[in-house]
Amino acid sequence: MEKTRREFVKLVGGAAVGAGMLLAGRGKAGAQAKPVKGVPSEPVMIGAMPGLSGVIAVPGTAAWRTTQMWVEEVNAAGGILGRKIELSMEEETTAKDCVERFRKLTLEKKCDVIVGLMSTGNGLAVGPLAEELGQLWLAWDATTQKGVEETMPKTKFSFKSTDNEAEAIGGAILTAKFFPNIKTVVGINNDYSYGRDCWDAYQAVLKNFNPNVKFVDALWPKLGETDFTSHIAALKRANADLIMTSFWSGDVPILMKQATAAGLFKRSKACFTTGGGAHYTLKKEFTPEGIILGYNSFYFRWTDTWPLLKKFVNAYYTKYKEYPVYECDHAYFVLQAYKEAVEKCYQILGRWPTKEEIGKVLSGIQVPSLSGFRGYREDNIMSCNFFMGLTSHKNPYDFVTISEMEVLTPVQIMKPFASAKLYDWIKGWKS
Amino acid sequence: MENALGITRLKNLGLPLVIIVGLLLLGLPLFAGQFLSYLMLTFFAYAITVIGFNLLFGYTGLLSFGHALFMTVGAYTAAFLTSSFSLPYMELILVVAVIVSTLLAALIGAICVRYIKIYFAMLTLAFGMLFYTFLLKFYYMTGGDEGMRVLRPFLLGIDFSETPKMQFLAGSYYFYAFVILAILTFVMWKIVSSPFGLCLKAIRDNPEKAEYLGVSVKKYRWYAFVISAAYAAVGGALLAPAVGQVDPGLTYWTQSGTLVFMSLLGGFEHFFGPMIGGIVYILLQDKVMSLTSYWRFIFGAILTFVVIAAPGGIAGVVSSLTKRRARGG
Amino acid sequence: METILNVLFSGVFHASTLFLVAAGLQVVFGVQKVFNLACGTFYALGAYFGITVVKLLVDHGFPKPLFIAPLIAAGLLLGLIVGPVIERGLMKFVYDRDETFQLLLTFGIVMMLEDVIKFIWGTSPQSMGGIDLMYGQLNVLGATVPVYNLIVILCSLIIAGLIGYLLLNTKFGRIIRATADNREMSEALGINMKVVYIKVFTLGTVLGTLGGALVIPAGAAVSEMGVELIVLAFAVVVIGGLGSMKGAFIGALVVGVLKSIAISTYPELEMLTVYIIVIAVLVIKPEGLFGGSRV
Repeated sequence: MEKTRREFVKLVGGAAVGAGMLLAGRGKAGAQAKPVKGVPSEPVMIGAMPGLSGVIAVPGTAAWRTTQMWVEEVNAAGGILGRKIELSMEEETTAKDCVERFRKLTLEKKCDVIVGLMSTGNGLAVGPLAEELGQLWLAWDATTQKGVEETMPKTKFSFKSTDNEAEAIGGAILTAKFFPNIKTVVGINNDYSYGRDCWDAYQAVLKNFNPNVKFVDALWPKLGETDFTSHIAALKRANADLIMTSFWSGDVPILMKQATAAGLFKRSKACFTTGGGAHYTLKKEFTPEGIILGYNSFYFRWTDTWPLLKKFVNAYYTKYKEYPVYECDHAYFVLQAYKEAVEKCYQILGRWPTKEEIGKVLSGIQVPSLSGFRGYREDNIMSCNFFMGLTSHKNPYDFVTISEMEVLTPVQIMKPFASAKLYDWIKGWKS
Repeated sequence: MENALGITRLKNLGLPLVIIVGLLLLGLPLFAGQFLSYLMLTFFAYAITVIGFNLLFGYTGLLSFGHALFMTVGAYTAAFLTSSFSLPYMELILVVAVIVSTLLAALIGAICVRYIKIYFAMLTLAFGMLFYTFLLKFYYMTGGDEGMRVLRPFLLGIDFSETPKMQFLAGSYYFYAFVILAILTFVMWKIVSSPFGLCLKAIRDNPEKAEYLGVSVKKYRWYAFVISAAYAAVGGALLAPAVGQVDPGLTYWTQSGTLVFMSLLGGFEHFFGPMIGGIVYILLQDKVMSLTSYWRFIFGAILTFVVIAAPGGIAGVVSSLTKRRARGG
Repeated sequence: METILNVLFSGVFHASTLFLVAAGLQVVFGVQKVFNLACGTFYALGAYFGITVVKLLVDHGFPKPLFIAPLIAAGLLLGLIVGPVIERGLMKFVYDRDETFQLLLTFGIVMMLEDVIKFIWGTSPQSMGGIDLMYGQLNVLGATVPVYNLIVILCSLIIAGLIGYLLLNTKFGRIIRATADNREMSEALGINMKVVYIKVFTLGTVLGTLGGALVIPAGAAVSEMGVELIVLAFAVVVIGGLGSMKGAFIGALVVGVLKSIAISTYPELEMLTVYIIVIAVLVIKPEGLFGGSRV
């Protein structure tokens, strides 16, 4: 037994990385509709845990829709190795309930894999649980430095999302590029870990490029705030050259609207590092051109040369009358990665792989996703490109898109391995 | 009067029933799946919390809308002791949780028991939310929104780190929690049937008269507040290792609402009512959440129905049915 | 000066929303003695419904600058429908019960309505685009204030005035005040309590839905807005004193302006400000600033 596992790992190592081979494997699997030898006939159970209420409802709904669309499509093409997929959904709510639901999906529903979760606290609770239960968990989000550096140094079953700070780092790089002359910056971020991580990282990186820039003030509305008029008065008082924010949910259009109404952008530039999370709500009427807008790891107008993207955006719009956001690709990628890992294992083993075997293949995998190739690093952290640019009104929609789009690679905005210290890494850029 | 009657009858008729249900729960891990055992484990934690809560709500007539605060105190005690101080002894956790919550409740209670009814409810709600904000704001201590890890505690000094987690939870930890629940239920039973408990009821039914008879109303309310807080802390301390993580969400006002919901659903006029409510709530939530993403609507409808049509809760309905049958026969 | 004015205007704008919701809470509490947790949810309902109505009309060629008329009509209409339905369908059963049950019933209503909103409008943020920007901005001593925000403040003041007039100078107002003071006596005097309760609860609902509809052009409707507002409205009535309309007015101003000042001076403390004020008031003067006077 032990021997076969070692052999298996060796085989995987030998077969890994080659994207061409991956695609070949994929094509083959797509054609299989009949029961495959060595594969059980009962359906694959996929558990999904989207957040559907409160602030996480915006990305959560998008991810859940995408999950359903993906499953529908794959099932229509014969499933995974001929096995149909069945979805089992449990809502992401509090940490206590998430732990309970995760246990339920594993022990009762016997899920083969669980995807989802966005809130970091929930991620920190479920990560160790996945390892204990030996259950594959492919997170959509739910990552912080704390989660990456301390809690789970080496995982077998939990696969985490990109670093929290990636967007803030990207935002700072673009700030330095597009607005090299700014002297003062004011921040408005939610008073919780993601908001604070982003503000710290943004400051550290921008200082690297522009040591003279001053960070004059930082505002901390609580997560879930829905009126920013008072904050805008404070932002005006700060009178800075640039306003930085890491808002990502329904608060993005509210802040943008109220800031425009108060004439804030007449004086100041802005950097919305993660505003693309609700990009379709940023109507042209109240969103100025020329401010930095980050779309996280998925921009629905990224390119015309990636058929997967075009097909998905059309299908999504037709079905929901909305344009997809980044969480869609998090959801799409984790499922696609799972499917291809299973198929790859099958090529080697000739049977349906165990969760542990799938986990081994997922480490370091690269698969075609909506935003191009995406993968997991060897330390089981998602690695993908990020999209940012300057807002523009030149498009056929009623909301803004970006011009001068920058594709930021993981090398630029994510520290190279999980145990690296973020701020040491940033400081190291100069030398 | 109605309640006193109900409780005595339950005592006479219900004792064998209580023992049977207790034994069933005790033996559950032997024949049920791990998940059901886990659900019952969370039930034990909530059961302890709500029987304490009901001393305040059902027996003293004070509605706390911030009681999740004390449950959270217990839960964070477990987190601090296991993660920050490396003192993973469950007994120590329980003792510290009780001490901390007692002190905190003594202070908050001293302020709150000056008021009754809606003012009491609002004041406790405000304290609960203040604590919520405190946990979020002082993140360098509490981990903020991310919360803190709760590591596996030693039970009676025995280290179980070699046992797989689910086996531990559905095994040793399950029985440990059950024993604590049994002891605390017995203690609460003694409390409510003691002269002290009768005084609380007298205060609830007619505070002026109680004061006239020489009962210091405020002092007794304060005692009840502190005791119920200590119970909640034990419940929280037992819940935390099962979940493995604590976060500020535990003390949001809707969580306190859940405790009230449980008590009302089961019937706050009966000693075992809140516990019945707890078990029904937990099983129902488990099923309904899997069934539909609009589970909040269903829970709201249930709450609305109970409030309007069955204010005595499940225990009230059952006891009025048995009463009717007794009368008919 | 400019900063002070900006902070003041934003605080008052915030206060005008809070006032409408809190006023709805107060009027119901004053007469029915029910602390209505659903007031925030009514506000959210009004916001979503207002957006739907205005969008629909504008799409069918309704002149944009006049959008405020259908907006107010939408808020009113919704409240006039939802109020009596909930009052007759649910609230009327619990008037004789303990306050606890009434509170819990409204908690149940919150849970149900939240999902109703999710079912109808989904979870994506909804807005009217930049329709409010049409009115431009006004310069007041160097401070830039969006005109629409001034309109909201003005509407809120007018509504406050109307309520004051209604309570003090009409027969209905006298009945409300009499009932708030002594229900048995009003009943003994032959007042039809059923009708009074329907009217009062509907008035409370309308204040909430109208508040939501009025404010929403300056923001966007998001799924968490209702629950978030309950805590703030609760703070307002605690500070102002339960059941007092004057208290709702002053309480809203205190919360709105103090919060605005805190954000400008000690942003780190923002989350804590409201609770600190609430607990301070509850400890020092638990009946609130205007707890003595009724409605």
